[in-house]
Order: sequence, then C-alpha cells, then structure tokens
Amino acid sequence: MGSVLTRDVLVKWAPLLVLIVLILFFAAMEPRFFSVRNFARIGISSAPALMVAIGVTFIIIMGSIDLSMEGTVSVCAVVFAFAFIAMGGTLASFAWLALPLALLVGAAVGLLNGLVHVKLKIPSFMASLAMGFVGTGFALLLTGGDRIRVEDDLFRGLLTTRWFNFPIMCYVAVAFLLIAWFIQTRTTLGRNFYAVGGGEDLAHASGLNVNKVRILGFTLAGVFYAVGALLAVGRIGIAETATGSNFMFVSITSVVVGGTALWGGIGGVWNTLIGVLIVNVINNGMVVIGLPGYVQDGVLGVLVIAAVVLSTDRKSVTFVK
Amino acid sequence: MSFIKKFIEQETVNRRNFLLASAYGLGGVAAAGVFGPGMAQAASNPTVAWSYRNRTNPYWNEIVSGGEAFMDAAGLGKDALTHLINEGSSEKSLADVKALLAKTSGNLALAIDTNDAPNCRPVVEAVAEAGGYVSTIWNKTDDLHPWDFGDNYVSHMTWSDEGPAEQTARILLEAMGGKGGVVHLGGIASNNPAIERLNGLKNALKDYPDVELLAAEPADWDTQKANQVMSAFLTRYGDEITGVHCANDTIAYGVLEALRAEGIDDMPIVSYDGNPQAVGLVDEGKILATVFTNPHWGGGITAALAYHAAIGTFKPSDEPNEHREFYGPTILITPKDAAEFKANYLDNVPTYDWTDFWGPTNGQIMYK
Repeated sequence: MGSVLTRDVLVKWAPLLVLIVLILFFAAMEPRFFSVRNFARIGISSAPALMVAIGVTFIIIMGSIDLSMEGTVSVCAVVFAFAFIAMGGTLASFAWLALPLALLVGAAVGLLNGLVHVKLKIPSFMASLAMGFVGTGFALLLTGGDRIRVEDDLFRGLLTTRWFNFPIMCYVAVAFLLIAWFIQTRTTLGRNFYAVGGGEDLAHASGLNVNKVRILGFTLAGVFYAVGALLAVGRIGIAETATGSNFMFVSITSVVVGGTALWGGIGGVWNTLIGVLIVNVINNGMVVIGLPGYVQDGVLGVLVIAAVVLSTDRKSVTFVK
Repeated sequence: MSFIKKFIEQETVNRRNFLLASAYGLGGVAAAGVFGPGMAQAASNPTVAWSYRNRTNPYWNEIVSGGEAFMDAAGLGKDALTHLINEGSSEKSLADVKALLAKTSGNLALAIDTNDAPNCRPVVEAVAEAGGYVSTIWNKTDDLHPWDFGDNYVSHMTWSDEGPAEQTARILLEAMGGKGGVVHLGGIASNNPAIERLNGLKNALKDYPDVELLAAEPADWDTQKANQVMSAFLTRYGDEITGVHCANDTIAYGVLEALRAEGIDDMPIVSYDGNPQAVGLVDEGKILATVFTNPHWGGGITAALAYHAAIGTFKPSDEPNEHREFYGPTILITPKDAAEFKANYLDNVPTYDWTDFWGPTNGQIMYK
C-alpha cells in the first residue's frame, strides 16, 4: 500500500476524491440528489462553464491569467445571435454559418488579447481584464441593451433533445473536452504551454518562441470561450450583454479547484472537468439540500479553499504571490 | 512640533484643491461633448443629467429612454442629456454628481437613483448646497424628505411592490387550484423590491392554506442563476412544485428555460416588471401575469420634475407632500389584456405630457 499511496498519487487524485465525497455527502443528505435527471441538470449548468474553463486552463498552464472571458462570451453570443437571425434564423438554412462565425470572433478577440499582452508588454492580468471590459462595452454597443432571442427549435435542440437522458449540449461539451485533451497532449502547441509555464526562461533559452506560444494560447482560449457562449445561448435561448456574467468567477474557481496550479506548468483539461463538476455539484447540491441562500456563498468559499488545500502540493511551492 | 502640524494642514489643503481640480477636470470631460467649448449657460438653461447604473439592464435602458424622450419633447434634444453611469458603485455615483456640480456651478437639474439608500443623503446635500435641483427614485432612507431641503430636493418616487406582487401571487394561486406547492425565486437578498415582492407572495398565501411555500431562494435578478436555481428546485421537489413566483421577468426567462429542458410547458408562472419580452410571453399564456411599472414614464418625469423646478415652472415648496414623495404607477398585465397593453405601451410608446407630473402616480409614500 505504502508504495502505491504516495503523496504524489494522493495530490493527483485529490480533486476527484473531493468530487466523489461531495456527491456522496449531498446524496446522503437528500437521496433525490443522486438521480440521473439531477446529473443531467448539473451537466446542463456545467457545459458552458466547462468550455470557458478549458479555455482559461491553457492560459493558466502557461502561468498567465486571462480575465477577458465575460466580455468575449458576451461579444460571441451577441454576434452569433445577430448573424444567426440575419441569415435565416434556423440551422436548416445558411444561418448555420453563424456557428463558425462565432468561433472566428472568439479567436479574433483572443488574438487581440494576446497581442495587447505580448506586444504592448502589459501583464496578462491587466491586459485581459481591460479587454474583457472592452468586450462587454462592445456587446452593449451592438445590442443597445436589448436581449436577442434565439428560438430556432433545431438550435435549441442543444437543450431540449436528449440522448440517454442527457441533452445534446453535454455531448458537445464532452466532444470539445476531447479536442482540448488532444491539443494538450498530442500537439506541439499543447506541450509548449507546459514548457512556458514550467520555466519560461528555460523554454526561451531552448529556442522556443514564447511570445508566439502566448498569442496562440490566448487565441485558442478565445475559441473555447466562443463555444461556451454558443452553449450558454443554447441553454436559455437569449443572447445579451449579460450572457457572459459570472463566467470569470466560475471558470477561474473551477480551474484552481481542479488542481491546475495558478503558477503554471501543472494540471490540464481533465482537472478542469473535475473542477467544473465540483463547483456545479456544490451549487446544485446546496439548493437541493435546502441550505439558505445567504449560507451558500460562504460555504462555496470555504469549500473552494478546502479543495485547493487538498489538491495542491504545498511542499513543491516555495512561495505564493 | 508645530511645523509638522502646519505641514499636514498645508498638505490637506493642497490635496483638497487637487481633488477638486481633478473632479472638475473629469466633469469637463464628461460634459465637453454635450455643450462644446465656451458656451455660456444662463440660469434658465440648466444642464439636465440622469445618473443610473448602466444601460445593459433592460429596466435602466427604459428609464433612460424616457429621460431622452423628455429631452426631445422639451426641445432640448436628447443628446443634451448628460449620462452619469455609476456601474453599481455608490462612491462613483456621488463623485460624478460632485464633479458635474463643479462643472456647472450648480446650474444642474439632476435625476438620479443613488444606487443605495445611504448614498441619497450626501447626493442631495451636495446638490442643495450647490443650488442645483435633484429628483430621486428608488433609493432613499426613511428619514430623508424633500420638504426638508426647500426647493432643491424636488421629489422622490419609488414603487411599492408588495401590493402588486400580492395580486400576481393571487393569480398564480388561483391557477394552481388553491393547492400544491409554490417556489419563489427572488432578487438580490438585501434589495428592497426583492423583499417586498416575496412579502406580497406571503400575504397572498395566508388566504390559501392548502398551498405550501416550498422554498424561496435569491436568483439575483439574473437569468442564468435563476435557470440553475430552478433546476435544483426540480431535483429537490420534483412534482411537488405546481407553481412558480418570480421576483422579476429576467428570472422568469431562466425558470421557463429550466422547465423547457425538462419538457414541462404548463407550469403556472408569474413575474414582475413588464419587460416587452415578458409581455409577449404573457400574451402567449406562458407567464400568467407581470406588473408594468412604466420605467419609460418614470425616467422621463423624474428628469422633467428636476428640470421644471430648476427653470421655475413650479415651486416645489408650494406643493403638498404627496407631490414631493410618491409611488410610481403600476399596471397589472394578464393574458386577457396583454395584446392591448402591448399595442398601447410597447409597439407605440405613448407620447406623454411631461408637465403632468403627478397624474399617473399612486399616492404619498407610507412608512412602516
């Protein structure tokens, strides 16, 4: 046993253990929590957040941070809705082109984000936060404060059509998770993220074009934000400036709770999946067991700290900034 | 040690001058586009400003569009309206007002929601001290009254939500057949309207002993949050839920989608605010009732009151108290009258008489 249960193994699997313990806890408190229908509900609330969190995972692995997701999601959602309606308003027409258009818009915003960060040498924290505000403002400019309804039954099938009890949006999210996993493990770019996060100086000295990796990373993140935006619109059928609200907190929390270290080089998209599920299980579970609203935020905060404590190896960290 | 004291005093004065100067500068930037350089302002030509959260929110968007409609009707042109956007920060709200007062030397007609109740007093005092005119909506502490400030604090309007929310609750409870379980999705827990709207439901429930209030959770006026809370309610209560009471329309949209995801399309739901989209849903019968508070009129008349007090059309201190503190209009919308309401209020925004200050109001504010 001793050789199997090393500290490394524990730290690696701690987020999953936390998730299992949480599920068992909520199930013990309220048996109805443990049902396929409820897992589908958790899946629905997790799917858009997972996409956004995967996007920011790549950035955090590089040791940077991206806080532009709220603005990017809003811009993508609004552009998608306008284009979708202008081109016919149903997936059965040319309006399907609005889907790739949204991804392109996400990539463009991400690219701009990366260029501002790298070329103007602004720390990613500040550059992305500012770009997020620009995005929210731009979305507001486009909509004038109105909300755009996307009522096409085919598109809303993301939510309403179910295969094996789970709506299609859950499968779409899993598909993009696998794509992200492929990028992370099987492409040079994915491995370069770890190189930059693990030791930027070393990576630079070995001839890696760190700036290029950073810009590509932000662009890739933008694409995943766009997918998140599409799923968010699919979930409530409305695109508005507020579509991106709350994604910053949920995604960053999820990434960290999942065990991806904020200082870079450690973690990956599977950690993010676990993290997103932990946050959404907590959110769902607290309402399901009937905790009063004002307790919920506090409990979430405590659980986040507990999850990070359990899932990070503090011995390998000499200082925290 | 007196030299230290002197130094500190000097620095304090310098700092104050610096702050004033920067405030003036900011105000100048904000208003420069509106007036252009070197334009003299007569006392009869006050700057008209609306201070509010932001335009992202459909409610505030309506409020401001009313303010602009008033500006057009008064012949000032809607571009002449100065927008002070506080983004939910009371500090910014107050700082912006002070900057604009400095810029306009107090020749200001201000319509404002001060973001929270405690912020109302410093805003009103700053305006009164500078000789400007201010009308407030929504947020004000109970001990602050327009008549204590002579003419400068022109009016305060708020909306009492308890009664109308009780009316919608009764419609809901009737639709449920007077039995079963109801859940309430509320606004931000500490918000006054959120509290009043839940109280309305509780008042109505007293007459329906066979209906159980299963749960009341804050959904923060947010569609996505409401969607998730409603999903969790469905897990916890399942078929026990036979009706949903929503604190506003944006919450109802999230609830409807959570139900749609489960294939439920006949759940009785009521909401509040009367947003155009919600009125459409009432017309389709998907929402049983919503309450229209006419933000367009509210936004226009608040600016009109401050403006007309400033140019001397009427003297606020000559008016009775019910013309200084009053409730705004509320209109209940049900499937029966939704189409008519839509035609009258939404498809064609009515042309209001912006000098009929008190016609649609609902009486003097009562304090509990």
